[in-house]
Amino acid sequence: MKKIYILCVDDEPEVLEAVERDIAELEDDFPLETAESADDARTVIDQIYAVGDRLGLILCDHVMPGDTGVELLIEMFNDERTHDTRRVLLTGQAGLEATVQAVNAGQLNHYIAKPWTPDNLRQVARDQLTEYVIQTETDPRPYMQQLNMQKLAEVVYKRGLISDE
Amino acid sequence: MRFNKQIIGLTLGIFVLILPHFLPLAELSPAGRITLGIFLMAGVFWILEPIPIFATSMVVILLQVFFLSDKGLLAEALSNGSVEYMPQSYKDFYGTLASPIIILFLGGFSLAAAAVKYGIDRSLTRILLQPFGSKPQNVCLGLMVSTAVLSAFMSNTATTAMMITVVLPIIAQLDTTDPFKKVVALSIPVGANIGGIATPIGTPPNAIALAALREQGIEIAFSSWMMLAVPLVVVMLFIAWRLLLFLFPPATASFEVKLDGKLDKSPAAIGACIIFGITVLLWVTEKIHGISSTIIAFLPIASLPALQVLDKKDIRGFSWEVLWLVAGGISLGLSLEHTGLANWIIRLVNWESLGGFGLLVVFGLVGFAVANLVSHTVSATILVPLAVGLGVSSIAGESFDMQSSIITIGIIVSFSMILPISTPPNAIAMSTGMIESKDMAKTGIVIGIFGFIFTLIFSLFFWPVILG
Repeated sequence: MKKIYILCVDDEPEVLEAVERDIAELEDDFPLETAESADDARTVIDQIYAVGDRLGLILCDHVMPGDTGVELLIEMFNDERTHDTRRVLLTGQAGLEATVQAVNAGQLNHYIAKPWTPDNLRQVARDQLTEYVIQTETDPRPYMQQLNMQKLAEVVYKRGLISDE
Repeated sequence: MRFNKQIIGLTLGIFVLILPHFLPLAELSPAGRITLGIFLMAGVFWILEPIPIFATSMVVILLQVFFLSDKGLLAEALSNGSVEYMPQSYKDFYGTLASPIIILFLGGFSLAAAAVKYGIDRSLTRILLQPFGSKPQNVCLGLMVSTAVLSAFMSNTATTAMMITVVLPIIAQLDTTDPFKKVVALSIPVGANIGGIATPIGTPPNAIALAALREQGIEIAFSSWMMLAVPLVVVMLFIAWRLLLFLFPPATASFEVKLDGKLDKSPAAIGACIIFGITVLLWVTEKIHGISSTIIAFLPIASLPALQVLDKKDIRGFSWEVLWLVAGGISLGLSLEHTGLANWIIRLVNWESLGGFGLLVVFGLVGFAVANLVSHTVSATILVPLAVGLGVSSIAGESFDMQSSIITIGIIVSFSMILPISTPPNAIAMSTGMIESKDMAKTGIVIGIFGFIFTLIFSLFFWPVILG
């Protein structure tokens, strides 16, 4: 089965560590990769797709040396590979204009303001990954236990993909 | 690893397809050899699944029209040969896809699609669950009964998927260590697997049995099947209910069953309910008005789209592959009998020594065992033609009751639910993570044993009375 990755991009190593700690319980099923800049992130994305895995969720800071997070998110939205990846801004410094741009040009899925609470971060990650699975998987059953079971069970039922044999 | 399995499956399948032509099989005609090859290949493909099982069924029909039909490549060679074989019309093989039993199923699919679309299945569940209150024991029974009732008319798998969405909020109220979680999560696949037995359209193995009987000129009315099957379903549901509570005694004393959602009162939903009600009513009263259930089945097929209750998208959403699977099974059965292969296979074994009862036991045991590992429909498809062969050849003697044996095979496979892979409902229940494989195995083994015993008892003493 193709693995679904989570990518966290932030220029502050402490933030990456905190995210890693907060969503540790998801890591068994959705491995977490980190990057310290947009360029770094592009390399990670290339590596993930090179072996046939996928990126399900990106948690991205905005103000970073080099390209900004919003620029990266817009680029990902326009990239065929990462078009379905759920895009989340995790930032304290994105101004109104950058955020509007992320929504309009990059179809931002969620915005988390720093500082976040671990519960909220986990919830958002779960919800976004659930959406990713619903959009990209034909049979979401393998993910029911880790993600929103009710929603995924609903999909199994409504899509009627599995039939009596 | 999957790749290897695929290669092995394909190679082995093609090998057994041509194998019979190189073996010194005395008394087996060329047509019989072709059929034996197809039969073996289908068996290998269905069991190892190098290609999807419905695709195998399609390939079976393909090979039959190419190599066994009157328009096929070998038509002349086969009929002019030294052996007597009149190639069957290619229309017979194609016709299996529109055979009355398939149409009956299609009628069921139409009703189920309408039920799902307008939430009728969920509303019905709410109504059915209400009288069972809030005591864990009763809720368990309520879940099993509602699941069984729905799966008697809808696919077992669709019913399970729907019921899982209903019970997740219930399970969420329970303490994480409460064994009652297991009871709830198991009651649904168990109810669905057993409930499928209740009507001809409940589950595809029933179709295989009914189609084989029709080939022999035996038509069993919808209501007659229900008279045979419903008492067995009731007995088994009761046993399964007590078993689940015994294996996983609930810790909680009472809890709230809250089912949200409201009745859809749009004209289309009401139309769907009316058609559903009329069709089911006409089906169960077949004996009274005398119109075959396979004729009634076209009522929902045509009227639901005509009333725009179902649209193009809904029709595309039917489980067409299930119909192909059943059609392939029926088609294979035709050649097994027509080419004399079934007869030939049967002569390989000295059946007489077993007697009618022994044969029933053997068919039941093999059917139960195989169906735990491969698809229930496939198990029935492989075994039913052999029972037909035994009956037709009268090799097994007077004591062998073909009719009851075929129904026994058709029904007993539905009691195979030991492993997560045994049935799609089991697989769905496993993916909730509420149960472990060993919980399912314990439950499945006990239900299997009781199911086996009661099916035999019914087959020997009850069904002959009903069927006359």
